[in-house]
Amino acid sequence: MGVETLVDVLGENVLTTTIGKIVGWGRANSVWPAQFGLACCAIEMMHTAGPQFDLGRFGSEAMRASPRQSDLMIVAGRVSQKMAPVLRQIYDQMPEPKWVISMGACASTGGVFNNYAILQGVDKIVPVDVYVPGCPPRPEDLLNALMILQEKIKAQGIQPRV
Amino acid sequence: MSKARTRPHASHEHVLDEGVSAGDRWITVKREGIAETLRALQAEGYQSFLFMSAVDHLATPVRPEPPERFELIYQLRNLEAREELRVRVWVPEDDPVAPTASEVYAPAGWDERETWDLFGIRFDGHKDLVRILMPDDWEGHPLRRDFPVGGEVVDFSEDHEVWQTAPEKA
Amino acid sequence: MSTETETGVQGMTITREAPPTDHFGGELLTVNFGPQHPSTHGVLRLIVTLDGELIRGIRPVIGYLHTGIEKQMEALRWQQAVVVTDRHDYLSPLHNNLAYALAVERLLGVEAPPRAQALRVIMCELNRISSHCLWLGTSSLELGAMSMFMYCLRERDTVLAMNEEISGYRMHTSYIRPGGVMADATERFWEMLADFVEKMPGHVDEYENLLTNNPIWRRRTVGIGYLSVEDAIRLGATGPMIRGSGKPWDLRKTMPYSGYEKYDFEVAVESAGDCYARYLCRIKEFRESVRILKQAMASIPDGPFNVDDRKLLPPPREELETSMEAVIHHFKLFTEGYSVPPGDVYAAVESPRGEHGCYVVSDGTHKPRRVKFRAASFVNLQALEFMALGSMIADMIAIIGTADTVLGDVDR
Repeated sequence: MGVETLVDVLGENVLTTTIGKIVGWGRANSVWPAQFGLACCAIEMMHTAGPQFDLGRFGSEAMRASPRQSDLMIVAGRVSQKMAPVLRQIYDQMPEPKWVISMGACASTGGVFNNYAILQGVDKIVPVDVYVPGCPPRPEDLLNALMILQEKIKAQGIQPRV
Repeated sequence: MSKARTRPHASHEHVLDEGVSAGDRWITVKREGIAETLRALQAEGYQSFLFMSAVDHLATPVRPEPPERFELIYQLRNLEAREELRVRVWVPEDDPVAPTASEVYAPAGWDERETWDLFGIRFDGHKDLVRILMPDDWEGHPLRRDFPVGGEVVDFSEDHEVWQTAPEKA
Repeated sequence: MSTETETGVQGMTITREAPPTDHFGGELLTVNFGPQHPSTHGVLRLIVTLDGELIRGIRPVIGYLHTGIEKQMEALRWQQAVVVTDRHDYLSPLHNNLAYALAVERLLGVEAPPRAQALRVIMCELNRISSHCLWLGTSSLELGAMSMFMYCLRERDTVLAMNEEISGYRMHTSYIRPGGVMADATERFWEMLADFVEKMPGHVDEYENLLTNNPIWRRRTVGIGYLSVEDAIRLGATGPMIRGSGKPWDLRKTMPYSGYEKYDFEVAVESAGDCYARYLCRIKEFRESVRILKQAMASIPDGPFNVDDRKLLPPPREELETSMEAVIHHFKLFTEGYSVPPGDVYAAVESPRGEHGCYVVSDGTHKPRRVKFRAASFVNLQALEFMALGSMIADMIAIIGTADTVLGDVDR
């Protein structure tokens, strides 16, 4: 008596996997972004959710208005000095597990604006998982970033984030 | 564009100078008389207030001696005659104050707040002169020429020695 | 109805008709909206004082997107600064480019050749269509018409594909530069444009089918956010804000630039002054833009797309192999850049939001001394305070939508 007999009896109705993989698969395919569009990248983010590029097929159509109901923050646009504490507050309000995509050059490094008013990279205040270059990045770039993030989420499984 | 028209505003008591720059007509007005002059121009037909701002003429090798450090600009438009007029006011560095125009033209309210925020020029009589674009606890007036552009120093860039990091208190 | 005087948030005395007399009583509640909020078209923060659902006071707090563009441009050369102009009113980048280019060209004393002017008109009208598409999509989304968002983005994607065809970028094309335009239009661009121009009126009919006689849309926009003509002029509102109130002020007709006087089109004007009137204005502007595009396509002259001045614009690359002068010009332009004669000038264009102007001060060097943008949204937002007093919270969403403010424009 062993697993082989079990397989005969149960046939193809049972899948075996690890909890980490199933949780990772579930999380990765239902990432709900928080609406955090700041500037021009927000428009391309809207296009990504639009009909031609369709974010919905990745499970991310539900862009939640409240950060407490979302698990991904796509920082789309330039973060000014006045906005930075607000961004941190929104990030803190999101429940674990949470991820951040820094969309566009301004969010990643400050972009075209190397000056007093713009935070030179949102990773100065929140930990970023995927950076998307571009000014603004094409919707396909954002979809690519989401797919990379999905791989990362699947790999993370049920381990707590360090 | 030359139009035979009387120029009554040239006879206003506060007007110091007038001219044309790249097709734009302008007049220079004494600081104390700005509200009165704007009121007179509004009555003349310049109903539309386009914008108001300041220019910092901190001395540079190109222009070592401007009349004063700050120049306020008011751009007005006469919708019927389709003409525009620029009103300039010189404001000295040691006394950066000017009378408010927000009683005469409503859009000047926010423009003056922005000028206060970015240049440090106070407007007497303005009802709500607080910072508008920078955080409330920001120190300094960013658009002044002696305020550094800020940001991060980029290695090997040609303006490397010119870039300075942002002030400590952000 | 009786009138009452009220002191507005900035000390302005406002006389309006009294709101309904059954007040909800009790104390006034101060609520904070934003800066992160789904219905605020960007990071706009509103501090609203409420009497039940009636708005008693509204104070916009801006600056959450302040980018220091004007300071940044002082640190860049004249031709580098074009790139930064795209990004401040990010829904109408070509109009920003055009205002800056017109100002610098006036200081330089050059004028773009006719083909460049026609290309500018084409790209600006396409931009107007794409900006209004996004406005209609997001405004309808906020008022509940969610499928409109998808329809409008579909058209916008078509326009952005045309932008990409002509300049390589979907959004921030930096296509219009002092001296002319970046590149000539390709064959494929003309095909795409011809196809678009044929199909767009049908799409606008679709939008109208869904919204114009829709009782829910009408209930939410008719009579909401009233702005009279006198108030619009007094508050400095421009664009559909003033044309929706009855004054046919459109810079393309009244103070034309870039060859607009050659095209035959009507100014979209409505007299009701409420959100519905502004909606009708913008729908008409869709149709008039298509009309201008058809005329521009048919009448575009052949010729150079740039001013033929080697001190302004680099020589074509083939010349670098044969001419020493071309090499010197190329070197000078890409290291130091060109210098603009000293002076100051204000040039304005009619962007989808209103009057967008660029005030440029030059001290004769290769970098601008001061660039100030007269942002349409900055001024239109001041009218928001006035329009929203006395209305309900739900109407505030409609009013913010109708003002079509872009926070990048407001904060620069």
